[in-house]
Amino acid sequence: MRKYRRWVQVFILIAIFVVGGLTLADNLFREDTVPKEGSKAPNFTLPGLNEQEYELSDYKGKIVVLNFWGTYCPPCVEEMPLIQNYYEKYADKNVEILAINENDPLVSVKAFVRQYKLTFPVLLDKDIVRREYGVLNYPTTIFINENGKIEVIFEGAMDEAFLSSTLAAMASS
Amino acid sequence: MLHNTKCECGHQNPVGTVLCESCGKPLDDEFGTAPLEMRYDGIARRSQRENPVLIDRVWRFFSSVKVAIILIFIVLCVSIVGTIYPQENTFLNVDPAVYYETTYGLAGQIYHALGLSDTYNSWWYKLLLIMIGASLIICSLDRVLPLYRALNKQQIRKHLSFLVRQRVVYQGQLPASGLSASAFINELVPILKKRRYRVHTDGTALLAEKHRFSRWGPYINHIGLIIFLLAVLMRGLPGWYMDQYSGFLEGVPVKIENTPYYLENEQFTVEYYTEEELPSEFRGQGRAVPKLFETKAILYECTANCSTNQPELKQVHRQNIEVNKPLKYKDLLAYQFDYRETIQIRSVNVSITDENNQNFGPFELSTISPKETYVVDPYVLTLKDYYPEFALNDKGMPYTKSRAPLAPAFIFLVQGPNLAEEGEVFIYFPRDVDKQRFSQDKLNAGVSDMIDIGAASMNDVDISQFTSFLNIRMDRALPYIFTGGVIFMIGVIMGIYWQHRRIWIRIDDDREITIGAHTSKNWFGIRKELSDVLGKAGITVEPKQLENGVKQS
Repeated sequence: MRKYRRWVQVFILIAIFVVGGLTLADNLFREDTVPKEGSKAPNFTLPGLNEQEYELSDYKGKIVVLNFWGTYCPPCVEEMPLIQNYYEKYADKNVEILAINENDPLVSVKAFVRQYKLTFPVLLDKDIVRREYGVLNYPTTIFINENGKIEVIFEGAMDEAFLSSTLAAMASS
Repeated sequence: MLHNTKCECGHQNPVGTVLCESCGKPLDDEFGTAPLEMRYDGIARRSQRENPVLIDRVWRFFSSVKVAIILIFIVLCVSIVGTIYPQENTFLNVDPAVYYETTYGLAGQIYHALGLSDTYNSWWYKLLLIMIGASLIICSLDRVLPLYRALNKQQIRKHLSFLVRQRVVYQGQLPASGLSASAFINELVPILKKRRYRVHTDGTALLAEKHRFSRWGPYINHIGLIIFLLAVLMRGLPGWYMDQYSGFLEGVPVKIENTPYYLENEQFTVEYYTEEELPSEFRGQGRAVPKLFETKAILYECTANCSTNQPELKQVHRQNIEVNKPLKYKDLLAYQFDYRETIQIRSVNVSITDENNQNFGPFELSTISPKETYVVDPYVLTLKDYYPEFALNDKGMPYTKSRAPLAPAFIFLVQGPNLAEEGEVFIYFPRDVDKQRFSQDKLNAGVSDMIDIGAASMNDVDISQFTSFLNIRMDRALPYIFTGGVIFMIGVIMGIYWQHRRIWIRIDDDREITIGAHTSKNWFGIRKELSDVLGKAGITVEPKQLENGVKQS
């Protein structure tokens, strides 16, 4: 027994260390799963209005603006014309805008797009991508740079000053 | 500096031994008279090395009982602090960072910033538990292995000073019965055996021992605690623990987060006690006392397209959930928690009536995911827009107040006989109150002369009445926690209910009897027992007289 004492000690201390390390890592990792500014934007695939599929990684190399919205959310509706305006402005400047609709019936979304004459892609989500991005309130706009990293997360209706300055800053860098 | 640890009996003891492993002679305190320190039978806890390596230092740190007690005390204090404000897991839909500051001010802000708002799941709390676990393992190992070795090879004839300095001692002469020393010893054997002792004799010396297994009790209960702690930590593994609340509207399958399951509330029922069923004190007060909350639940599992909008669901379980009678499927439990009356139209069976009162249809119109096109010969309806909760804003433009179909409005483009070729707009409100509110007939002026769209009777309207709130739980670590707890209790019972008793007897010079006895607890009991045994052998002695040294029972 005395001969193996050293091995037993080492084994036990290593086992405790491993359990401790795993627990710590797991806890700290868990807190990190909600994407924040600076973290990588999780990839996703969502259908559009005409059953085509949109995948985030298809837009690598472009600046991507994700806007989480719903027709039942008045501030989301208010900022739509502004977003359409800037979509047209930045059309040839490597910027893509994806409006992710949460839980509206398809008919309502189509009617809305027609009514407000929106030309940017509208994607249909049912809380899946919203949860992945940790979005709790609408509208939330997430600006992703060409390398797939989240640069800005904005909650609430954007005003023109904010949208134009953010896009300008990202497009020039 | 070499410490001479060779006993006068010839046995070589490891450094740190208090009582000789062989004959029990006290090595350091040869000429003292105080009762011996019998902890672990006086063996060395572990060998002290001259140059302790890091491993030795860490081991020594955790093998100290003082450190263990300090750790337990720290965990106790931290756990108390965790009860000052409600923990994060008691809330349903609140952002913790905002809540603590707004409800409790600066103290709340500090509380949240320090991580105390989720004390029992925080990494430092778990780390403290792991340190206690380490302490448990290392303390136990450090003591149980030498103890086992010591108790396994016990000498029958111990050194005189070992016997004389026990806490239960008798010194006297052989009773005048003419028996020789070894004969007397042999007479004691059956008396002791009757009292369930295991007796070993060596001519004129005797060792009687019973209930040694009770010494292992504390180590068994430590094993139980370690299993318990590991099981608690395992709860942190993904998929091992869940405790969430979700609302289930009648008729709509809802996804249970972090699982492949969907649960549908087919129907919710609430029953109240009738006046006759109420106890007399409650009657006549107009009190509505609920008797039954029941959710007819269907559990589905997603088999394909699980992360899309249209998952394929397969029914796997059906159960009626009542309060305290949860739905059970594999590890998943769903408890009835609450309900709310949320009257909503789910779908309407709608018919078209033309100006001759001829009916066409019916066709099903869903308020949750309505289709875009409906073909009801000879009419074709295209749904142009749909508002679940129709309202007009201050500019008179329509919008929807929420996602819930509380005031549904369907805007159709109708094509058919007597209607314009490109179609005519018809607004349909399934709820009569909305028809009045928004003057459906006025809005549809012109078209309403030719057709009308509506439900024939209340039977054609499918209404959800209730939303049932269920507490969805999963705790896969529970069986292991129970196992740890049971083992712990076994160890506690072993250690507390029985005591390890040993009696050493030696007869010197054919006449001098020296008896020493030791027990792990309950000294009163062993004194009484020894007095009885000696009484049966012809030596009369009161239990009190056997007591030696510091007065403790």
